[in-house]
Amino acid sequence: MDILYLLVPFSVILVLVILVGLWWAVHSGQFEDTEKEGERILHDD
Amino acid sequence: MSIPIKSIPIQNVSQKSPLSLEANDWKALDDIKEWSQFSQSVNKEDTQWESHIVIEGMHCAACAFKVENTLKPLPGVVEVSVNATSGHAKIIWQSNLIKPSLWASGIYKAGYQAFPASDLLHQDERKKNQRQALWRLLVAGFCMMQVMMFSVPTYMAIPGEMTSNMKGLMEWASWVITLPVMLFSCGPFFKSALNDLKTKQISMDMPVSLGILIMFIVSTAATFDPNGLLGKEVYFDSLTMFVFFLLTGRWIELKMRDKTAGALDVLMRRMPRIVSRVNPDGSIEKIPANLLQVGDTVEVKPGEAFPADGEIVMGSTNADEALLTGESAAIRKSIHAKIIAGSFNLTNPVHMRVELVGQETRYAKIVHLMEKASTDKPRLALMADRIAKHFLWIVILLALSVGIYFWQFDHAKAIVAAVAVLIVTCPCALSLATPAAMLSMSGFLARQGILVQKMQALEALTQINTVVFDKTGTLTNDQIFIEKIFTNKKITEKEALVIASSLSASSLHPVSKAFMNAGEIDTSLKIEKIEEVSGGGLLAKTSLGVFKLGSLAFCGLKDNEFDHLKEEQLQVHLMHDDNWVASFMMTESIKEDALQSIKKLKQHHLNIEILSGDKLSSVKKVADQLSIQNIKGQCSPEDKLRHIQLLQSQHSKVLMVGDGLNDGPVLAFAHASIALGQGAPLSQAQSDFIILKGELRLIPQLIEEAKRTMKIIKQNLVWAALYNLICIPLAVMGFLPAWLAGLGMALSSLLVILNAARLAF
Repeated sequence: MDILYLLVPFSVILVLVILVGLWWAVHSGQFEDTEKEGERILHDD
Repeated sequence: MSIPIKSIPIQNVSQKSPLSLEANDWKALDDIKEWSQFSQSVNKEDTQWESHIVIEGMHCAACAFKVENTLKPLPGVVEVSVNATSGHAKIIWQSNLIKPSLWASGIYKAGYQAFPASDLLHQDERKKNQRQALWRLLVAGFCMMQVMMFSVPTYMAIPGEMTSNMKGLMEWASWVITLPVMLFSCGPFFKSALNDLKTKQISMDMPVSLGILIMFIVSTAATFDPNGLLGKEVYFDSLTMFVFFLLTGRWIELKMRDKTAGALDVLMRRMPRIVSRVNPDGSIEKIPANLLQVGDTVEVKPGEAFPADGEIVMGSTNADEALLTGESAAIRKSIHAKIIAGSFNLTNPVHMRVELVGQETRYAKIVHLMEKASTDKPRLALMADRIAKHFLWIVILLALSVGIYFWQFDHAKAIVAAVAVLIVTCPCALSLATPAAMLSMSGFLARQGILVQKMQALEALTQINTVVFDKTGTLTNDQIFIEKIFTNKKITEKEALVIASSLSASSLHPVSKAFMNAGEIDTSLKIEKIEEVSGGGLLAKTSLGVFKLGSLAFCGLKDNEFDHLKEEQLQVHLMHDDNWVASFMMTESIKEDALQSIKKLKQHHLNIEILSGDKLSSVKKVADQLSIQNIKGQCSPEDKLRHIQLLQSQHSKVLMVGDGLNDGPVLAFAHASIALGQGAPLSQAQSDFIILKGELRLIPQLIEEAKRTMKIIKQNLVWAALYNLICIPLAVMGFLPAWLAGLGMALSSLLVILNAARLAF
């Protein structure tokens, strides 16, 4: 089970990376209008 | 990131976001020219102003009191009222004694931010807040799951199976992942706890922050120094879960609040900014709407909103007044018809003469009254907040005395025992008791067709003793129907009805709809020309001669000609070549479930009243059928509000049920309020509950459900108290190992949530 000594720290880093991704998603407005974006493909502009 | 706002007029800044407004920036608003952006003068000399602002950072009623208490002692501040739910505040101040920047800096000192309530500023701020709240929730949720992944193995492992190194690694990983939760997610709790400390007023956030901090400190110490004073148990999983639960409740509440705030903003912004004025020489000039004066003529194109109250002087069109009155069908507006500001022109360009502008319009007055009412709303104290204060002091005193007691014998044991008390009493279950039950009930009610807009109102609803109904559209259906027909004996009632229905086919008037619903159309009757006279009736040239269908005056009848003409009831008459043919007695239909619902409400020992803008005689007719004694007719929105204030001064707790724009102020002011779904959106925005399909039978049910919710909340609070009562003595005596304390805490929260979930079935 020694591999856990590598995998656990690795998973912690992964969590932090995902958090950075979440920060970007929230603050660039990805969750602002979840309905409109889905429908956008149905409208030509 | 912030853009200095100093010399820029507020309205031009809106495109540039994000915005932040510092206390100093308010100096730019000290100029009298800027005041009208967020204030209006109260007296004629312009020395007293009423400002509307948005305060950011408030979480609960205690915060609202805090802001009020800081502002009230300032010289020149006449009146302050802060609404915790909407974040709006109203300040009346004297311009010769104080300037906006002075009272604004008071708000900053209390620990909050203030913004002038010009809607665009408000919107940017709301968006930023929403993003922050979502970010906090996502961090807490995501990190909670990860911490659980590392905690589960330590729970599952048989003793000895996991090396202490491995356990240490898991704890270290949990610690790293808990850090973002402490740094980002817990911000609001800590901030408001700090404010509590500064202002010495305690809300639920204080015991919550204390609990979180103690848990984190103890767990951190255990992670890095397992043999230290604070023991070797970690609570990262309980901590992150607790934060996530709390934030979820707050997030849903913020969402609900935003929906109504958004609806109000949309309504405020629908008034046109630029209007086309028709000059006396016939030329058309575009001017800002605030330069419009009484007596001006303006052109309004289809698709535009009418900018003022007035009268049509040229052309005819259909108008959509749905947002104001809730009437969904288009209303025919021909020459001399009255126009309400804020309604929409649908079909043809018309010219209207302006009679009332700006703040004087019926629309603006009601909106103003409604805003004022919502900030003046009397508050009913909430159980959880009352408990929080006492709870905190008991916990701190207990931990201190335990610590001091054991200090004499053993320093290490003293710290462990004090910490055990603090962890055991972490108010997880206590702070989740109310929001969990209310959220669960909101979900249940939504499935029944009731939208809960303000969750606290569920508690208020159980304390009411008076129910006040509006009449039209609330107790009665919007439609009118034909109650009785009198004819001149030459034709039958059915024949009269067929003629009337055939004439009404082209009209959209509510009376015409009543005929359409009642009778068949005779296609053999050829209508050559038909004209609708506003406020009169229909004039039709047909193959059988000239027919008139309309009011007494329109038909040229006198009220002493026939007996039935004297009755005080809506009547429509049919004339054939100026000879009387028939009279139709119209009546409002009472909703099918009205009688049963009123009966049920009376069984709850509630006092029932009707407040209506309609004539007293027609109110009485409805009231008699429903056996309601307390009625009031011909009420303006102001009258209604005054009556409710009178009731409340006599210690009545009032539930208002209404639908129209006229009910808006009262809905905002009553202790609890229900708007019916087909009503005016403006009124819905201000009410606590919306019954989507307008079924009255849901009202007694709603009250029963609210009582059920309170029962569950009480059970939850009792359970939380009981858990603490049992565990504290154990912890004090040192019988409660830390892992059991942690488990008990998680289980007590879970029990509270599961108990609340029972409401959803």
